[in-house]
Amino acid sequence: MNFPGAILLVDDEPHIRKYVSLILRQLGQARIIEAGNGEEALAIYQREKPDLVLLDVSMPRMDGIATLKALRALDPECAVVMLTSMVNRETIEKAVEGGALNYIRKDIPKDEIARALAETIAAHFGES
Amino acid sequence: MDATSPSQPLVLQGSRILVVDDDRLNVRILGGILRPEGYILAEADTGEHALAAIEAFKPHLVLLDVIMPGIDGFETCRRLRAAHGHLAPPVIFITAKAESNDVVEGLGAGAVDYLPKPFKAKEVQARVRSHLQNRLLAEQKQLLVDQLSKANAAKNRFLGMAAHDLRNPLASIRGLADFLLEGAAGPLQPEQADLVRTILDASQSMLTLVNELLDVATIESGELKLNLQPTDLARLVADSVALTNLEGAKKHTQVRMPSATPGIVAQLDAAKIRQVVDNLLSNAVKYSPPAATITALVALDPAAATCSFAVRDQGPGIPEGERHKLFKDFSQLSVRPTGGEKSTGLGLAICRKIVDAHAGSITAENLPQGGCEFRVTLPLHR
Repeated sequence: MNFPGAILLVDDEPHIRKYVSLILRQLGQARIIEAGNGEEALAIYQREKPDLVLLDVSMPRMDGIATLKALRALDPECAVVMLTSMVNRETIEKAVEGGALNYIRKDIPKDEIARALAETIAAHFGES
Repeated sequence: MDATSPSQPLVLQGSRILVVDDDRLNVRILGGILRPEGYILAEADTGEHALAAIEAFKPHLVLLDVIMPGIDGFETCRRLRAAHGHLAPPVIFITAKAESNDVVEGLGAGAVDYLPKPFKAKEVQARVRSHLQNRLLAEQKQLLVDQLSKANAAKNRFLGMAAHDLRNPLASIRGLADFLLEGAAGPLQPEQADLVRTILDASQSMLTLVNELLDVATIESGELKLNLQPTDLARLVADSVALTNLEGAKKHTQVRMPSATPGIVAQLDAAKIRQVVDNLLSNAVKYSPPAATITALVALDPAAATCSFAVRDQGPGIPEGERHKLFKDFSQLSVRPTGGEKSTGLGLAICRKIVDAHAGSITAENLPQGGCEFRVTLPLHR
């Protein structure tokens, strides 16, 4: 599997960032940058130009959907996968309309999150 | 007569009463009887005028003559009920003598009572008072019911939010404990691994509770939406039996499923019904002694257009006097799981709500040979 050069992981909860980072590292992803809110994510995105953004849906102040729109306004090619707990159809529709590639639930067992992340990376960055 | 009789409860004074009669004398007599009670009166001489006056005067009670020019009393009453539904003021008919046909038709048209002519003052006062009181009580009850349902809706929203917000930290706790156990942070001593497994067990029970609370909040707030699809019930139950047998292996419990009639296909929400079957089977394992045999049955009743599944356990049965608690939220019976398993007291309540949403029924019976049987009956079509 080809890995993106850098993944930007955006979630307001530090424990989720630690957890998802560990899963990504175990999959073989080397470079992970973390952001704790939408504004920080936008600043880091412009500076670091990561290849993939994993973006939490529900964050205080600037939520995931607003951040998604701002990111796509900055860079229409920006690859974003949403992180959600529970599936809310309305949110998913908004995310897809906003240009997100996919969504991954973070409240499912670890191995299932790992599988979903691996599939997303393979789909977007190629198998080989 | 006193301007206000001392026995009159204060709350009824000022009640508005509309007197509808084309006979001026009757109106005057009723006024003389009712004004001293402290009521405010308005008059109308036809059914049409009465209907107009109801809009403007908003009476708490209507006294209505049967025979009038134009639309009669019965028709006036029916139109009043049609226009205002359950908010219509109660109607008492005024009838010449107690003509039983009039009384029957009047009550059929939605009246609450009738007053026979000639009037007896004490009787008129007593009947009017009692119907005004009834109405006041009904209003107060409705107010209370409205307040309680609002409070209940707020509770459900809170429950849903709290349960939802608990899922994220729980996901991390479980995932990070998984990492530890796998040795992602270095190899664990057996004792350390045992502690991590305990963290995983505890977080699993908490996840179950949180999920059940979410289910209750969703169902109670009326957001339970069924996704009805043609579903093979026997296969659904067989899948659940297979999983339960894997999980029940620790307790050496065996679930048997005698071969069911194939092709029992009903319009069901498969995921929700699976939740019910899983719950009933895991309860059967929980409450039966180790190494018990549990039976799962699926049946079709073509005559009634229903299908059913039943789970028979070898547990202690349902204690007499606790049956009413069985399907209620957060109720736990005096019988306890036999292998130290957890119970939130929500599982069966959720089952019943799911079955109710399918217009089905769920019952529990103690079996003569011991143990009990939970049976769910579901319509084939909706």
